[in-house]
Amino acid sequence: MLSLVGLHKRFGDVVALDGAGFDVAPGRIVGFLGPNGAGKTTAMRCVFGLVDPDTGSVTWNGRPVDHADRLTFGYMPEERGLYPKMKIGEQLAYFGRLSGLSRSDAAAESAAWLHQLGLADRSLSKLEELSHGNQQRVQLAASLVHRPKMAVLDEPFAGLDPLGVEAMADILRRLADSGMGVVFSSHQLDLVEDVCEDVVIIDHGRVMVSGVLETLKSRSEYLHLEVTVNGHEWKPQSAGAQFIGNARGGNRYLIDRQTDLAQLLEQAQADGTVTKFSVEPPRLSDIFRETVRR
Amino acid sequence: MNTLRQIRLVAARDFLQRAKSRAFLVSMVVIIGLVAAVGPLMAIEMRDAPPYEIGVVGSRPDGLETALSASAGAFDKAVELTSYSNTGEGEAAVAAGRADVLIVDGSDLVWNEEPSLQLASIITAAVQGIDRRQVIADLGLSAEEATSLLNPPPLDSRTLNEPDPEAGPKQVAAYAGSFILYISILMFGQFVMMGVMEEKSSRVVEVVLSRVRPHELLAGKVLGIGVLGLVQLILLGTASLLMVSMFDIADVDLGALSMRVLMWIVFWYLLGYSFFSVVYAAIGATVSRQEDAQSVGMLPVMLLLPGYFVSLAALENPDGTLSTIGSMVPPLSPLVMPIRASLTDVPFWEMLVSMGLVVAATYFLIRLGGRVYRGSILRIGAKVPLREAWRSAGR
Repeated sequence: MLSLVGLHKRFGDVVALDGAGFDVAPGRIVGFLGPNGAGKTTAMRCVFGLVDPDTGSVTWNGRPVDHADRLTFGYMPEERGLYPKMKIGEQLAYFGRLSGLSRSDAAAESAAWLHQLGLADRSLSKLEELSHGNQQRVQLAASLVHRPKMAVLDEPFAGLDPLGVEAMADILRRLADSGMGVVFSSHQLDLVEDVCEDVVIIDHGRVMVSGVLETLKSRSEYLHLEVTVNGHEWKPQSAGAQFIGNARGGNRYLIDRQTDLAQLLEQAQADGTVTKFSVEPPRLSDIFRETVRR
Repeated sequence: MNTLRQIRLVAARDFLQRAKSRAFLVSMVVIIGLVAAVGPLMAIEMRDAPPYEIGVVGSRPDGLETALSASAGAFDKAVELTSYSNTGEGEAAVAAGRADVLIVDGSDLVWNEEPSLQLASIITAAVQGIDRRQVIADLGLSAEEATSLLNPPPLDSRTLNEPDPEAGPKQVAAYAGSFILYISILMFGQFVMMGVMEEKSSRVVEVVLSRVRPHELLAGKVLGIGVLGLVQLILLGTASLLMVSMFDIADVDLGALSMRVLMWIVFWYLLGYSFFSVVYAAIGATVSRQEDAQSVGMLPVMLLLPGYFVSLAALENPDGTLSTIGSMVPPLSPLVMPIRASLTDVPFWEMLVSMGLVVAATYFLIRLGGRVYRGSILRIGAKVPLREAWRSAGR
């Protein structure tokens, strides 16, 4: 179990972390969400000692994390980059060795990753000779080549096309199934809704909400309503309804969980022909909005 | 995971990636090829100085060729005589450079442009000798009288100091050494700076630093590139020694002399490189963009140049005040001391002070440069002011 406990960090006048803390359990995928500048990257850097928190600590299985522990973690920084002129096979093996693998294990893992990424025949290519998408894949492999127990990935979905997102999500799920803890940051909530099991929402350096996503949804005070009434705009009369956007001809609202749905539907039907009336638990983006606005 | 293993891994990568790069291999082949090619050429030049080509036209005094050979012999030169049927033909040969000079009727000399003083005095001595013999024969002097007249007893001479037959060769070797040392420290120091900058600008540094602590990365890089520099220096030194073995100068053991210079150069390369590479690494860590790199690009040269200039002064006067002080005070000493030590017997205490100061300064720089490195290596973007780098690493 990786725990970030009460992290504070100030850069000059800017408070990057203001008591942020959360846990990542083995086998779980944690989405670490927040608007730009919320402190996600700083918190992740604290895990690897790249930033020293002013106060607070990072622990691994209850003990303060040390350099040896960090070598059993995998890190993908937000700023992507590898050695442009180094052959990718050698490069992955090098990072494997830096994380403590023996020469032969590192070579084997490097080959296995390249095979898995469909780049087995490019092992002797320099990184700069690969396409952008392939460079991204090698980047992920570089952070995971040593089979870490914990993966810390800063914006792993940034810059990926929908297929890339799907492939990345598959890899993360497989790793979590094998017992690895995964924490990844993102500000693209619709992309990651299906990927994370647990979420941590951070804003202004403070964790606003954290927990199992399904539980958060079921505990929310709101429901997500999508309604389409032929002919004209339709707004629920109930006091708590908040307009949150339009979706393909319909309107989307957050409504109070206590709202009498039958009565609401009647109101809608009274105004015209209802072609869509769907009530669901709030989405991740709803929870996020609800949290960050507060 | 222990520190030494990480340092070794980083060093091995930096060594191999650079050693395998085409630019490095090409420069290596060119440098060693130059040394290997220049050596034999110089050796041939020194062994067989070309003879003077002398054209002769008109009447030719008896024994001219013998007299010319004898007087040229005093200058370790040979002469070759060619007869031309008329002055015009002889002048054409001089103008075309086939003859160095034309002797007309044993009395007039015709040159192409600038007369050669040496050749003129060789010919003058030979012709005057022949004339004197003629006069002596006409006077009817005895053979004994003639000999004492023509070969007066030489003047006595003595020297206040024993000449050092090694002085000349030593200076040449020390000059070559000072140049190689300057180039090596500059070249490999710059490799360190570029290596640090490349890691920062390619953003790979954060991936590396999640596994390796900053001081391990810095130490590994300095070590790997330093060893590469040492390998190049030793290859270059070996090539130079092989080249030197082709020369043969009386009374001088050139091999031993060059070996001594080489040892000093290698030893001081290690101290000098350690000292400067840490500075270069710290400078490299403060920039991540090409434009900013140019603004700090001249710094390495400027840091080294004073030492190089003082080392040139030391070549002329190794025991002078400037050389003596320069050979003890960093950052001058790594470039000056090996030159002094090659040329003169440096007192043991001066050597100790010099080494002690440079080692102490290097230790200080590692602390200081290491802190600047740590404070700026993860700050991608604008150039990091030294003061900020210093503060942000301070805890």
